[in-house]
Amino acid sequence: MNNDFKNGFIANLPIGLSVFAYGSVLGMLCTQKGISLLELVLMNFLIFAGSSQFVIVEMWSSSLDLIGIVLAALMINLRYFLVGASLNPLFINSSKKDKFKYMHLVADENWAVTINKLKTQELTPLFLFGGGVSILFTWSLGTISGYTLGEFISDPSKYGLDFAFVAIFTALTFNMYKGKDDLLPWLITALVAILCERFIPGKFYIVIGAVVGSLSAVYLSKEQDNVRS
Amino acid sequence: MLEVNSSSFLLIVIIALGTYTLRVSGLLFSSKLANIGRVKLFLDYLPSTLLLALVMPAIIKEGMIGLLASALIALCMYKTRSILLSMIIAVVFVALCRNFIV
Repeated sequence: MNNDFKNGFIANLPIGLSVFAYGSVLGMLCTQKGISLLELVLMNFLIFAGSSQFVIVEMWSSSLDLIGIVLAALMINLRYFLVGASLNPLFINSSKKDKFKYMHLVADENWAVTINKLKTQELTPLFLFGGGVSILFTWSLGTISGYTLGEFISDPSKYGLDFAFVAIFTALTFNMYKGKDDLLPWLITALVAILCERFIPGKFYIVIGAVVGSLSAVYLSKEQDNVRS
Repeated sequence: MLEVNSSSFLLIVIIALGTYTLRVSGLLFSSKLANIGRVKLFLDYLPSTLLLALVMPAIIKEGMIGLLASALIALCMYKTRSILLSMIIAVVFVALCRNFIV
């Protein structure tokens, strides 16, 4: 059981490198916006969602637009509803208490790593939680370093570090390929996401792409059953 | 350095509660409905479609370099099954292209 925590922690360290680099950029931005270190740490621990923290910090000013910022941040975090929904197999034997306990520290990174491992291995939610603690650790280390040391990774994209997220998630996607039944739903997901990203402002493309893609998979499998019977 | 005023504290707490609610309600929602066949299929596809929807626009934005990097990842995953190695190769490739080609 405790091994799951440790394994989850370690499994999320490689991606932690880019989490650290982007954390340092956010920390530096916070000093420019006059955000206090305590406010930054509170965000890390209580919100724990990197991309929405970037939006909060960007929209931060001396007169806070409370409603505007809340809506913008929650819109980005809408995908966590789907992320949570996809984690049911991991929590199948868990009590409600465990669900409430472990779901807070769920980020894209430890979710993706866990879901991937779950295909070949039996895991407890402690693996996910260990990964969450690992990401919280590297994220805090990055943001606090950026805040106190200032700009020390001037342009993470120069080192391809922004692509590290994309690369890991792409590798995990390939790893999830089960057979040619996946091709059409995946193609639909990709097209819808790319088009929505281009034409709909904000970050709705993630949720729309995933929902339309998964619905298409359900629809297509029904079609297939009809042909067979 | 350590001050928090009431409005920024309120802001952080509201977003925190909202985000936590999204995370937990998604899980509770699916645990209620997961034994319905079609819902289960929908949920089975969610991890891969979520990941795809996250990365595809980012790859396309990167242009040719992004597409070539993805092809490298596919090849590396096929040959080695190592996510870490795939990531390192893709990141080094993108960094080299950005610094020496464009």
